[in-house]
Amino acid sequence: MLNKKPVKLLAAPALLWMGVLFVLPMLMIALMSFLKRGTYGQVVYEFTLNNYVRIWDPLYGQIFADTLVVAILTTVLSIVCGYPLAYYISRLEKSSQQIWLLLVMIPFWINFLVRSYAWVIILRSQGVVNTILQSLGIITEPLPLLYNSGSVLLGMVYTLLPFMVLPIYVSLEQMDRRKLEAAYDLGATPWRAFWHVTLPMTKTGVVTGSILVFVSSIGMFVVPDVMGGAKSALIGNVIQNQFLSARDWPFGSALSIVLMLLSMLLILLYFRAVKAGEAKEGAA
Amino acid sequence: MKRFKSMMIGALTAVLAVTAVGCSSSSEPEQQVLNIYSWADNFDLDVIKDFEQKYNVKVNYDVYGSNEEMLAKIQAGASGYDLIQPSDYMVATMIQLGLLEELNKENIPNMKNIVSTFKTPPFDKENKYSLVYTWGITGIAYNKKYVKETPTSWNDLWNEAYKGRVIMLNDPREVMGMALIKNGFSNSTTNKDELAKSFADLKKVLPSVMAFDTDNIKQKMIAEEAWIGTVWSGDAAIINGQNPDVEYVIPKEGATIWADTLAIPKGAKHKDLAEKFINYLMEPEVSVKNYESIGYSNPNEQAYPLHSEEYRANKMIFLDKADIARAEWLVDVGDTLQEYDRYWTEMKSGR
Amino acid sequence: MKTWRRHTLSGYSWLMLVFLYLPIAILVLYSFNDSRINATWNGFTWKWYVSLFDNRQVMQALMNSLSIGVISSVLATVLGTAASLAIKHYSLRWRNVVNGLIYLPIVIPEIMMGLALLVLFSQVHMELGKWTLIMAHVTFSMPYVMVIVSARLADMGKELEEAAQDLGATPWGTLRHVTLPLIMPGIVAGFLMSFTLSLDDFIISFFVAGPNSTTLPLYIYGLVKRGVSPEVNALSTLLIASTVLLVIIAELFRRKDSKNGQIHF
Repeated sequence: MLNKKPVKLLAAPALLWMGVLFVLPMLMIALMSFLKRGTYGQVVYEFTLNNYVRIWDPLYGQIFADTLVVAILTTVLSIVCGYPLAYYISRLEKSSQQIWLLLVMIPFWINFLVRSYAWVIILRSQGVVNTILQSLGIITEPLPLLYNSGSVLLGMVYTLLPFMVLPIYVSLEQMDRRKLEAAYDLGATPWRAFWHVTLPMTKTGVVTGSILVFVSSIGMFVVPDVMGGAKSALIGNVIQNQFLSARDWPFGSALSIVLMLLSMLLILLYFRAVKAGEAKEGAA
Repeated sequence: MKRFKSMMIGALTAVLAVTAVGCSSSSEPEQQVLNIYSWADNFDLDVIKDFEQKYNVKVNYDVYGSNEEMLAKIQAGASGYDLIQPSDYMVATMIQLGLLEELNKENIPNMKNIVSTFKTPPFDKENKYSLVYTWGITGIAYNKKYVKETPTSWNDLWNEAYKGRVIMLNDPREVMGMALIKNGFSNSTTNKDELAKSFADLKKVLPSVMAFDTDNIKQKMIAEEAWIGTVWSGDAAIINGQNPDVEYVIPKEGATIWADTLAIPKGAKHKDLAEKFINYLMEPEVSVKNYESIGYSNPNEQAYPLHSEEYRANKMIFLDKADIARAEWLVDVGDTLQEYDRYWTEMKSGR
Repeated sequence: MKTWRRHTLSGYSWLMLVFLYLPIAILVLYSFNDSRINATWNGFTWKWYVSLFDNRQVMQALMNSLSIGVISSVLATVLGTAASLAIKHYSLRWRNVVNGLIYLPIVIPEIMMGLALLVLFSQVHMELGKWTLIMAHVTFSMPYVMVIVSARLADMGKELEEAAQDLGATPWGTLRHVTLPLIMPGIVAGFLMSFTLSLDDFIISFFVAGPNSTTLPLYIYGLVKRGVSPEVNALSTLLIASTVLLVIIAELFRRKDSKNGQIHF
């Protein structure tokens, strides 16, 4: 019906850009994962599979598994925190929507480290929360609120919340309200209307947000250090260490490649699951 | 939406305008430029200003957070820096990798001011490539409000009474080195049995550890989150200044000594100027001003009599000769570093 | 019943806002703390605000961060939006391929990307500085823009576009007057996201920065070894305050403009 060629060409600059500045570096990483570490930490141009053999150590498998659990929990909690907020924003008048969006984003313009240290001040044993609870006589000994898996999760959700709120807001904002009204007219309870109309129609946003949060949390390493007291390493910390203390770039590259493949596999499975759910819904 | 857009465009123009102004004012072709790449707060900014004025040059001072980050930048080349500050073991590595320029000693007559202990450091025995700038020893800092008995040994960190209040540096070499020294081995051993034995010992202290932290260890000691832990002497001095209850001791088994140096990366464009700056820093009067401001130990012997009473009386800055004699430098362990890393990861896998 | 639900929702949302601003409140408070190390509260002072304006390193870093943030997020938004528009017209298979690959730059550990870009830039003898920073920032933020804009496009019906073309609009005309306005919230969200990412990025920036191109996160990260200076808190406070002020002024103007604007706060 119409000539779509020119529109299709719009992707050319972006593809060219990513080809040079992303694909090329990626190939270099893949190559490096097959090289050797020299005695002084330099990269030696000699082929080896040893880096991948080393990953078979159950130790790294365990850390991968721990990382997955944290990433999944972070994603679920982000949906719980982010969806209602995005829903509320999308219900506001247009101009208020812009203001709320900005209000949600502004805290993230403040440096990440500075914000994390602020959390430490709030949660530490002589911190804001413990001081208030103690002066109210609710507790006598300070609660251990920091340096455990709970505080790591809190830090993760806090850091990644915008990745969830923005995509959900974007898809809620363009939802066709008439379908919701139709559901109400047919006597649906608000909860049923939400479950069967709103949620399916904003699925793209939830899926996009979940992937962004999941993928970002899987490589996270500063939060476990600052909020978790660096006691339990996630895979991001292990990779970081290969560059910043073990000076083993090839092993770090191999770990990164495995991490990337694993994440891509999980995203694929997630897409499949969503599609299967869709088909089921269509059949019902 | 329109308003939002115009607001964005307004902000954009404002920022671009400011950038344009910023760019044009910073390009003064006549002046020579010295590009320093170092740790943050490692110089008194007034000292840099004085140097700029005295020699009519411009100094750029950029910072890094770890030796390895700096190494990666220098290794890739094209970094454009003239003066760097690698730590002891990193000097040795960089010499091996051919990344450092030899210093022209004729340009640095003031290097004679350095105290003899640091004229022959093991990582660069003849000061061919580097000069010690600041130094310290990793010992035990403790808060005497909670730690009633003065610690004398690394073993005191293992004391059950401090459970959940022990802090350690977040650095595999420092922590493993401590455990090795505690067990009577060298902090840079390449012997696998010694490593395994020390690691088994280290695992026992894990349940007591509140956190591993290098960057914020001072805050945690000052705020009394942590009661006892492994701390650099210079940091201990800063902590003690803020919280006088925190004391510092070097355990009887010995400890790790470290230094940050002044060195010139290979291919530096302004090598002469960098040497001029190094020489300037070693003028006794300049160094007094510099070190009293940054609060770390000064290796400049000629400056000692000029320092204030307060600075000289501080035992965390003017360390005991006997303690220095017992301290050991960290040495690059080559391929064994993989073993250290494997243990470190295992320790942090929480099992 | 209905109002009860609405109150719960708005209460929850305000609670989330409190969650987001709790640490900000603390850092504002501590910007008035009379202690260089900022571990405990030592008393009230203005001095960090005064010394902030004398600190040419901080001001230079702020300028670098803002200019790099704006330029890179504009570039990323334009390139990313254009690509999403084009990809929408690709066949299903290619669209799936691109949609999968788009996550790769997000999955890749930042330190790897930083190192790889450093090696790439030094191989082609590009001088490290503001331009390498901008290029790197565009690279890591473009995928986020594409993900968000594509999600918006995927949910958008074809009816309006087709109607416009039936009425004789050219493809470009349809794009400009129908599609772009419809996906504008997605574009704005993408821009906000990439600006935020750019402003806060440390790891990748570290590797591709050169002399005299220190950004704010680089400066702050360098400080952590000796303790983050309260000047940084002061700067953060000013940054927040000026943005919030800007938002309020814009809102006041808007309310003056529209006579029958409903008040939702």
